[in-house]
Amino acid sequence: MTSKNVAAVSAFIEGAPPGELADVVNDIKALTPEDRNILESARPAFKKYNEEQLTTVKLPGSSNSVLISQYNALDNERYYDVESQSSFAFDHVTQKASDVRSHVLESQHKDLITSLTRPLTTHAREHYPTSTHAIFPVPSSPSTLAILLTSSKYSPSNFWNGRLRTIYLYNASTSTLTGTLKCDVHYYEDGNVRLTTKKEVAETSIGGGGAAGEVIRVIARIEKAWQEELNRGFGRLSEGEFKSLRRQLPVTRQKVEWEKVGSYRAGKEIGGGRR
Amino acid sequence: MSTDQFDSALDLLRRLPPHSTTANLNRICALAPDLTEELLSSVDQPLEIRRCKKTGRDYLLCDYNRDGDSWRSPWSNEFEPPLEEGEEGAKPSERVRRMEVQMGEAVDVYRELYYEGGVSSVYFWDLDDGFAGVVLLKKTTPSGKSEGGWDSIHVFESIDRARTSHYKLTSTVILRLSTAGEALGEMDLSGNMTRQIEQDMPVQDDSSHIVNVGKLVEDMELKMRNLLQEVYFGKAKDVVGDLRSIPPLTEANREKATHQEMINSMKR
Repeated sequence: MTSKNVAAVSAFIEGAPPGELADVVNDIKALTPEDRNILESARPAFKKYNEEQLTTVKLPGSSNSVLISQYNALDNERYYDVESQSSFAFDHVTQKASDVRSHVLESQHKDLITSLTRPLTTHAREHYPTSTHAIFPVPSSPSTLAILLTSSKYSPSNFWNGRLRTIYLYNASTSTLTGTLKCDVHYYEDGNVRLTTKKEVAETSIGGGGAAGEVIRVIARIEKAWQEELNRGFGRLSEGEFKSLRRQLPVTRQKVEWEKVGSYRAGKEIGGGRR
Repeated sequence: MSTDQFDSALDLLRRLPPHSTTANLNRICALAPDLTEELLSSVDQPLEIRRCKKTGRDYLLCDYNRDGDSWRSPWSNEFEPPLEEGEEGAKPSERVRRMEVQMGEAVDVYRELYYEGGVSSVYFWDLDDGFAGVVLLKKTTPSGKSEGGWDSIHVFESIDRARTSHYKLTSTVILRLSTAGEALGEMDLSGNMTRQIEQDMPVQDDSSHIVNVGKLVEDMELKMRNLLQEVYFGKAKDVVGDLRSIPPLTEANREKATHQEMINSMKR
């Protein structure tokens, strides 16, 4: 197993579309039949994928999903969930949770997390048909909370899958918010079409003394403005960039007369052409 | 090499980001070197541009005008860089070369009308019972806040029949679109698709082939362009709407319930 092969496999994992990691893994296995350790060697790439994609998992014996991120990571591939007050082992390659133990969050922001979670839950219910959200204190920054939400929809029988993620960092001492909104859609019926978007939210001050409800109201405003802009983006690409690559019809609104195409050039019927 | 491995390689490329196909293709070939030849001849990648040393005109590179590390310019009919002493390289017969030149000029007009820029190339080769060819078109829009690229690759066969020819066309379009802005952030919409068609068309003389292939390519590009815009982009936009609803869902659900109630009351 060379490090070059691990790099290749890691790149495949990183590029896996929403909900298709298992398919990508099957392809990797088929391509490397004599190398049984290749997935194990690429474990760091799986970990990065799961933490960045905010992968969700159901804990054994529970019907609620919890999410995986760099913010709720404990040692030895264990993660914790605030709401169920538990920690669990997570296998990054198989995406399965096990060994659930009691885990009570110790944080100066415990009450703030509770009061932010309530309006965040309402917000999620109002705008995301299927989503999982969580709030964790950021280990490296004592005054900061990570507010995370992921919404996925998979329809492999119709050849599409999609995921939207929002990651906000709320600084409780300055009452300011930054964030990243990402969307990833794959449509692959007789083709391979991928939409990826990324929006960085510049530092935004929260009015109202940083009340929990106000934080979520600002988030709701940011998301609405971004989604409306994204919808306009589709129009711009299709009417602008796409059209300037290839017209639907020539300026004359008529198809090419192939029988006469030789004389087009002789008669210089196309104005402004290159030679 | 097993069929399984080849199919897995194609499946993987159909899943991974279309704008990284070339990089991922190279990675797969490094992992499973036995697949290299078959993959390179069956996976379409964005085309490269060269300038013909003799005529100064740009042409496109593909497997069909390649001999080792040299490519045949369609404008000069010569390999660049030149092949080694004594090597001829694969060139079309005189008759097929004549059609290749005619088609190249016709596609150049077509390119100007539809693409208003870009580069096109046509390569033909002989078959026992007819001839075959590839029509290539490429356009990129300048890089900046918004940029894009379109590559189309039309491979066809023309099999002689009495007074007609049987044409088989396989077309691939590779598209890259991206835009960025303060409010939007970054947005990238890329993809590729392949379609096939077979058709019998009347043939009087060699110039009929230029007309027939031209029409087939033009109709196919129109169809694929519409599919990309309506079906593929439309679907991507719809999925975003499925992931997040701009109007509150309780409001949307209430409207749905009211609507359902109306339908029910009309049924009664």
